[in-house]
Amino acid sequence: MDYTQQNYKAIKQMLDSIGVTSIDELFSDIPKDLRVKELNISNGQTEQELLNSFKGLALKNKISTTFRGAGIYDHYIPSLVWEVIGRSEFLTAYTPYQAEASQGTLQAIFEYQSLICALTGLDVANASLYDGSTSVAEAVVLSLRISGKNKILISSLLHPEYIQTVKTYLENSKAELVVLPQGANGAIERTVLEANIDDNTAAVVIQSPNYLGIIEDMQTLSAATKSKNVLFIAVVNPLSLGLFQAPGEYNADIAVGEGQVLGSPMAVGGSTFGFMAVKKSLEWKIPGRIVGQTTDKDSKRGFVLTLQSREQHIRREKATSNICTNASLNALAGCVFLAGWGDEGFVNLAKTNISKARYAFNKIKSLEGFKVKFENKTFFNEFVIETQKNIKKINKVLLKNNILGPLDLSNFNENLTNCLLFCVTEQRTKKEIDKLVELLAKI
Amino acid sequence: MEKLLNEMSSECKPAYSLNLDVECDYQIPENLKRNSNLGLPNIAESDLLRHFINLSRQNYALSTTFYPLGSCTMKYNPLINECIAKFNEFNSVHPYQAQESMQGILEIIYKLEKDLCEISGLDYFSLQPAAGAHGEFTGLLVISKYFKSIKQKRTKIIIPDSAHGTNPASATLAGFDIIPFKSDLDGSLSIEKLKEILTPEVAAVMLTVPNTLGVFEKSIIEISKIVHDNGSLLYYDGANLNAVMGIIRPGDIGFDVMHINLHKTFSTPHGGGGPGAGPVGVKAFLEPFLPVPRIELKKLKYILNYKKSKSIGKIKSFFGNFPVLLKAYIYIKSLGSVGLKNVSEQAVLNANYMLAKLKNIIDVPAGEKCMHEFVLSPKSVLKNSVKTLDVAKRLLDYGYYSPTVYFPAIVEEAIMIEPTETESKDTLDKFIEVLIKIILEESNKCPQKVKDAPVNTPVKRLNEVEAARNPVLKW
Repeated sequence: MDYTQQNYKAIKQMLDSIGVTSIDELFSDIPKDLRVKELNISNGQTEQELLNSFKGLALKNKISTTFRGAGIYDHYIPSLVWEVIGRSEFLTAYTPYQAEASQGTLQAIFEYQSLICALTGLDVANASLYDGSTSVAEAVVLSLRISGKNKILISSLLHPEYIQTVKTYLENSKAELVVLPQGANGAIERTVLEANIDDNTAAVVIQSPNYLGIIEDMQTLSAATKSKNVLFIAVVNPLSLGLFQAPGEYNADIAVGEGQVLGSPMAVGGSTFGFMAVKKSLEWKIPGRIVGQTTDKDSKRGFVLTLQSREQHIRREKATSNICTNASLNALAGCVFLAGWGDEGFVNLAKTNISKARYAFNKIKSLEGFKVKFENKTFFNEFVIETQKNIKKINKVLLKNNILGPLDLSNFNENLTNCLLFCVTEQRTKKEIDKLVELLAKI
Repeated sequence: MEKLLNEMSSECKPAYSLNLDVECDYQIPENLKRNSNLGLPNIAESDLLRHFINLSRQNYALSTTFYPLGSCTMKYNPLINECIAKFNEFNSVHPYQAQESMQGILEIIYKLEKDLCEISGLDYFSLQPAAGAHGEFTGLLVISKYFKSIKQKRTKIIIPDSAHGTNPASATLAGFDIIPFKSDLDGSLSIEKLKEILTPEVAAVMLTVPNTLGVFEKSIIEISKIVHDNGSLLYYDGANLNAVMGIIRPGDIGFDVMHINLHKTFSTPHGGGGPGAGPVGVKAFLEPFLPVPRIELKKLKYILNYKKSKSIGKIKSFFGNFPVLLKAYIYIKSLGSVGLKNVSEQAVLNANYMLAKLKNIIDVPAGEKCMHEFVLSPKSVLKNSVKTLDVAKRLLDYGYYSPTVYFPAIVEEAIMIEPTETESKDTLDKFIEVLIKIILEESNKCPQKVKDAPVNTPVKRLNEVEAARNPVLKW
């Protein structure tokens, strides 16, 4: 099955108009000896056949009640989000270059930018980046470029795949990446940051909640960074900003993060979107598309892609980034998600996450063989528990009961052998948490 | 004019709500607590739905109109792809669940890689990159790491001036210096000029084939030989792969590395600017450098292999934009080998048909034949200082999205048209008629009408200068 339209008669007419006798003649510039004989690809299938075969493939994946997070989270996606991103007028439009014919996408991106600014407390947001990991990499590249310095301090408690991505992005640059070790309490300590910062430091990158779920003392870390005239890059979970300090409040220069929690399904880790918000002074330095408000000939409000002289299609090798296609549809989901809660509802969503996580935390830590790893630390919806029990066995038993258990942190670093990272979002019911606890108690 | 979300906000019951079935329990130390207002809008579900549906109706989209946007391959996006991509068994899988519990997903990624190898003639693909530019960057890092591994210092990339802007931007990000390659008027490359700039420092030459003027590079075999004799590699920008599926394979004609834009050639919807996917393919000698994890088949099980010591590492978290990969794979399975070749044949037929109808009226710098797209230069026929931009805007009034304009920069007043294979002769005929009418008739008889266009769109011509001079980037 293919989606071409021309029948024999139309093809004949078209060939006549062109002045050739066969379609093959249209390829006469390509030397015959370079031509492919036949592709070894299976025969085409009808829609019905496809549906059946892909149902079969889908069923080879297992869906469980998940208590695992570590960068990708099971959150509720309201029906409205699905409805809007399924609208073919959004789904099948291109990047909105022709503004007058793309006001839907442009206004939605403008609204998205405004909502990201509201959430982060910063001044300017771009139209999205690929995901959380690349948003951190872009922020690092930005800070190296504008500071002219070449050292980056990065938290060891930043998501390990984000650190790896940043390393890859910096592979051929002169930049030096210094990983700040974690303190005994599962967070980055001010003294460690201060011991590593110097005149050559371009930026400090701290994630909060960090990979272990702990809320970092961003106020203190940012102040220590800013006092040295170094850029502070905050990597944040946007849902946590309903309750926890916003990057703008602690004077961060750049806030980035993973937008999956705002209305995108887990989908084995992508597609999602990355967001970036910066202080006003950096608006001409930010990578990627930005939508701005303007007026039309009749002085009516409208929206266009703007500050384009930062971008690759204008500036080529001097652009602020190579990014072109980003993750617009996922950012649209983020916009629809953020628009429907109101302040109180959004704070309530954050409170629900933390309350359910604390409910599970209190129950699990009181079980025999399980104990709290980091005492008295504030967390959002993930926490670390140390256990003397066999972790493989724990997750095997849980999986038998259709539960995706906590992440085994043994391989993350040597301080976390026998440690588990639990995640409890608003999606988990009391009943599911009780069941988890009951199963853990029996192991 | 559709209100902004903040202007719609009222003291109503907001669209979404949650119940808490455990005790509300959160104590947050003062120094960690948010003190500032969020400032999110408060809008009821019905109003919010209307808002976004109204906005959607202000878009021209592939599902509503012909979208002859050159270089972007705006072909029909099959609905079955969307339908399958909504399956819960794809969407609700966590990236860190056990490999045994996501065999269906790994199988799709593995088999898509194999199909892309077959289509391209390259030996291995990484499906991790999230877009074309991301794929370019990945491919260039692979090239860089390869030369480091054989202890050669090669720091430069040759890029024709007709290339997409992402090429030089990606090469710079990957730490290379750019040597611009001035192409001839039809976009083709002179062997003599290439020899002059091909120094021992050149790591690779990046080419778009067919080039952005829609011309197949006739000297490609000679170029390939010269480049390889110099010890350099050849990179294929797959943006224009839609012209040559089942016709030629980049791997067969000497290319070592390429990326493919799945959101172009393989029909996945563009989403108003993503998500896309930019798989990167390489010849076997470059495989050790591809991003991790590699997805492999071992003892009838699909596994994630992270143990690749020469790999460039991770280019993004997890495995790539899976829903996009899935849709592209469904597309390949629906077309099969005959259908894929038919795609390129019909795409080239449609483009040549349009070109044949236009070439005697409007200048075509690249000559009388093309592959899947072509570039017009209407400078000599436009009257009364009407510009290409005006023509583009006037087309919107007739209900068409505009072709790509002012690209490639080597053509004055360029209009780049790519009809794709999924449009009917009737659609093409009507569009051609309108385009000729605007360029010949309206620019002559009523130029102000063209300069004032568009008037049938939700807003009239927007002031882009004002937007950049005094940026208003949020409410």
